[in-house]
Amino acid sequence: MKYDFLDSDVLSRLGALPVEARLAMIGNVVGKHRSPHRGSSVEFAEYRKYVPGDDTRRLDWKAYARSDRHYIKEFEADTNLRAYFVVDCSGSMKYASGEFDSKIQFARKFAATMAYLLVNQGDSAGLSCCDDTLHLELPPSRRPAHLQNFFEVLGELEPKGQTGLVDALHTVAEKVGQRALIFILSDLFCDPDAFGDALQHLRYRKHDVAVFHLMDPQEINFDFTRPYRFVDLEDSTTIVAEPNLIADEYTAAIQEFLIEVEARCHDVHADYHLVTSDRDYEAILRDFLTNRLPKKGKR
Amino acid sequence: MTFIQQAMLWGLFAVSIPVIIHLLNRRRFRTVEWGAMQFLLKATKESRGKKRLKHFLILLMRSLAIAALVLAIARPLAGGFLGWGGGRVETVILILDRSASMERSEKDIQVTKRRSVLTRVAQAMGELDGARLVLIDSATAKAQEVPSPEVLPELSFTAPTDSAADIPGMLISALDYIKEAKPGRTEIWVASDLQKENWAPEDDRWEAFRSTLSEEGFQAQLRILALNGRERNDFAIRVLSARRESEELVLDLEMNREEDTGPLNVTVNIDHMGARSGSEVAFNGQSQRFRKRLPLEGSKGQGYGWVSLTDNANKRNNVSYYAYGKEAPVQSYLVVENSTDEETLKALTTALAPGFANQQVAVRNPNLAHQVNYESASLVVWKAPIPGPPVSNQLFDYVKNGGVALFLPPSGDSQASFGGLSWDSIVEAPKEKFFIVNDWERGDGAFRDAGDGSPLPMDRVRAIKRRGIVGDYTSLATWRDNEPLLARRVIEAGQILFLSTLPSYTWSNLEQTALHLVTLQRSLDEGNQRLGASLFATAGEESSLPVGDEIRNRIDSYLDGDDPGNSDFEAGVYRLGERVIAVNRPTAEDSLETLTGVDLDTALADTGFSLLEEQSASGDSSLSRPVWRAFLLAMLLFLILEALLCLQPRRPANGTAPSPQPSS
Repeated sequence: MKYDFLDSDVLSRLGALPVEARLAMIGNVVGKHRSPHRGSSVEFAEYRKYVPGDDTRRLDWKAYARSDRHYIKEFEADTNLRAYFVVDCSGSMKYASGEFDSKIQFARKFAATMAYLLVNQGDSAGLSCCDDTLHLELPPSRRPAHLQNFFEVLGELEPKGQTGLVDALHTVAEKVGQRALIFILSDLFCDPDAFGDALQHLRYRKHDVAVFHLMDPQEINFDFTRPYRFVDLEDSTTIVAEPNLIADEYTAAIQEFLIEVEARCHDVHADYHLVTSDRDYEAILRDFLTNRLPKKGKR
Repeated sequence: MTFIQQAMLWGLFAVSIPVIIHLLNRRRFRTVEWGAMQFLLKATKESRGKKRLKHFLILLMRSLAIAALVLAIARPLAGGFLGWGGGRVETVILILDRSASMERSEKDIQVTKRRSVLTRVAQAMGELDGARLVLIDSATAKAQEVPSPEVLPELSFTAPTDSAADIPGMLISALDYIKEAKPGRTEIWVASDLQKENWAPEDDRWEAFRSTLSEEGFQAQLRILALNGRERNDFAIRVLSARRESEELVLDLEMNREEDTGPLNVTVNIDHMGARSGSEVAFNGQSQRFRKRLPLEGSKGQGYGWVSLTDNANKRNNVSYYAYGKEAPVQSYLVVENSTDEETLKALTTALAPGFANQQVAVRNPNLAHQVNYESASLVVWKAPIPGPPVSNQLFDYVKNGGVALFLPPSGDSQASFGGLSWDSIVEAPKEKFFIVNDWERGDGAFRDAGDGSPLPMDRVRAIKRRGIVGDYTSLATWRDNEPLLARRVIEAGQILFLSTLPSYTWSNLEQTALHLVTLQRSLDEGNQRLGASLFATAGEESSLPVGDEIRNRIDSYLDGDDPGNSDFEAGVYRLGERVIAVNRPTAEDSLETLTGVDLDTALADTGFSLLEEQSASGDSSLSRPVWRAFLLAMLLFLILEALLCLQPRRPANGTAPSPQPSS
C-alpha cells in the first residue's frame, strides 16, 4: 500500500463495523446517525396534534378514524456524522522505544483507518494537527477523494515543538459549530487541569469526545538500568540521571498523571482510552467500535 | 589477628572495585531522547538522601563482601592470645615459667598450667605456618631453638622444676638473642602464672628491657599469657629448720593454704630415714607453723627425710625435704676484756649456755681471740674494745659467711670500727633518772614478739649507763632520746649487733628482766642457722650444686624424678660427696601474691604488650583459632544484605491508575 500507516487487511476486517456516535449528531445530509431533529426515517418517533400549516400528507388517517382527532405522525431524522481528528504533533510524539511504533506513527494508523471507515460509511472526516499552535486544519468531507488528501497530510506530519494541545482544542471547539465526534490523539503532556478545561469547552459545544492517550511502554515502566543523559524531544533540555535512583519517583509521578487525566476525561464523559504503542491498533479500534454499537432495544 | 597467607591481604585493594565500577558507570552514560521530561524532572527533584544512602549502603555491602572474601582467603587466626597483631611472625620466643608454682592444676592432675600452655603453644605454632620457635625456660634461662614445636610438651627443657623463675632475666635474654640472631619479625610470648616474686616488678632490669624493646627498628611484639586461675584450694608444706635437740630431731614446719576454709585436719606424712609415719594436724587460718619432734634413738650421724601432704592442686609444694648433721654442741664464744666484772661475765656465760640444748660457751681474752674457731661458732659476743687486724679480718669473714657477732660496750676506749660501726663515749643518766626504751622492732630482730604474739617487756628496761653507737645501722630498739639500744648492720649473709648497755646493775636491769637472755639466745639461734643452713639448699641455686669433684646423687625416694635431665632443678635430698643436703623449692614459690594490672603496666610501660588472662589452667581452648569460616559467613551476610537493598519495594496496588487496554 502507498501509505505505511494503512493496512488493507485491517481495513477490510474492520469495514463491517460501523462507527457510531454516542450522542445525536447534526449533519447536513441524510445519514445513518441519530439526529436531534424529526425527519423522514422509517423509525417512528411520536404523535403530535395537527396545527394549521402542517403538511396534510403527514396526517395519520388511521388514528383519525379511531379517535376522530387529527394527529401528525413523526419519524426520527437520520443524519450523517462529522468527525474531527485532533492529532498532537509536538516533539514528544516522536518518542519510540525498542521495536514499537512511535506515538505519532500510532496516531497516523489510528486516524487514517478510522477516517477510511467513516468516509466509507458516508460520514465526513476532518483533521487538525497541533504542535505549539494549531498549524494545520483539514475541513471534514465525506468525499472519497478527500481521503487521499487526508492521508497525504497525515503522512507528512513531522512532530516538533512543544505541546499546544489545549489551545488547539479550544480553537476546535470554537470553530466546529455543529455537533461532531472529536478524536484526540495525543500523549497529553500538558497541564491536566487546562486539558480538563478544554474538554469542558468541547463538551459544552455538545461534541462527542474520544480521547486516545498514546504512551510508550517505556514512558510508563521507566525500565532503564544504567545512567542516561535524557534529551527533551520538545525543547532539547538535558538531564543526566541514574534511573535506579529515580525510578520510584518517576513511576509515582506518571501514575499520578494518568489518574488525573482519566479523571478529567470522566468528568466530561469523554471516552478515555490509554493506549500504549506496544499494542495492536486493530484490536484497540475493534474494541472501540464494538463498545459504541447501540445496545439491544436502543438505537 | 594473624594471617597465614598474608600476601592475600593485597587483595583488599579489590574492595574499591565496586566503587570504581560505579564511578565508571556514572561517566559512561548513554544519551536518549525523551518525551516525558516533566515527570523526569519531578522525579529527580524528589529523589532525596534516603535513596542515595541506600545506594551508598549497597556499594558498602559489595565492598565489605569482597573484603570478607579476601580476609577469609588470607586464613586469619584469631584468639585472645594472638589477638590483633597482624603481620607474619617469623620467630616466636617462648619465655616459659616452669617453676614449681606452674605445676598447679585445677581439674585433671595431669594438666598443669605448664603443660596446658605447652600444648596450646605447640598447637598455635602449627597454625603459624613455619614460624621458628625459640625457647627460654626459667631453669636454664638460655635461648634454644625448638625444631619441632609439636613435641614441645615432651622436651626436657619444658619439664617441671622446683626452681624459681627470673622473668626479667629471661626477657633480657630474649632481647639479647634477638640482637644477636636477628630473627626477623619476632614475638615474645611469656607464659607465666604472674607470681610477683618471679616477676620482681621493682627490679631495675625492667627499665633496661623497656628501653631496649622500644628502640627503633626492634621488631618484637610482647604477649603475655597469664595463667593465674585458682579454682582449687592448694596446700603447701615447708620445713623451716631441722635441728638436733638432745636425742630428738626438731622439725619446724610451716603449712600454708590459699584460702582459709575454716578448721581442718590435715594429714602430714614424714619419711625419716626410710621410716614413714603420718599424723593429723589441726589447721587453722591460712598459714600455720608447728613443730614435730622425731626421736633419734641414739643416732649421732647425719640424716635426712621429707615431710609431705596428700596430693592437691600443686603436687610440687606438697613435699619439703630436710637434712641434719652429726651431733655437735652449739658453740658460742665470749671475748671479754679483763676489766669485766664478775657479775656481767656470769650473766653473759649463763645466758649463752644455760645448761640445756647442748650449748657451750668458750670465754676468751681479746689477746687470744685468734684462737676462736670461727667455723664452729654460732655466735661471737665481743665485750672488749673493737679489735684491729688480723683479728678483725677473721671476725669479718666469719660475719660475711653468715655468722652473728654481738658487740657489748667496752669499759675503756675503743677507737676502731667494725663493719662501719664504732663505739662512742659512755653516757650516764642524770641522777635518779633512767634511760627508758621508747620503741623497738616487734616483728624482727632480737626483741621481736614471742611466738604467741605477746611482746617482750621492753618498757621495763631501765638503764643508768649506756654507750653511744656511731655508724650506719638499723635500730632494733631505741631509747627515748632516739639513741639506739640495739643496732644492727647486715654484712652479706651475716650481721653485726651493737648493744648499747650491759646486763649489769651498774649499767641496766637487763639481767633482772632476763632480756639479755632473750637477746643472746635469739642471736645464737640466728647464728646457728648458718651451720644448719649448710644442710639446706634451694633448687636451681648454686648452693644445691656440687663443688669441685663432688658427685651429686639423689638419695631420697619420694619421687623417681620426672626427667633425669632436670635433676639440677629438682627438690630432693642429695649427696654431694660426703655432704648431704636437702634441696627445696624457693620460698617465693609458695607466695600467693600475684602481679596486679598496675604492676604489669608499670613494668611493661610503653612496650605495647598484650595480655591474655586464662582463669582456667586446665582449659583446653586454643591460643588461636582459624576464623575464615566467620569471614565467609560475613561475606554471605553482606551479599544477602546487598540483595535485600537492591530489591525494589513492591509498588502498592493502585486500583485507580488506568492501565492500557488489553489486546483481544
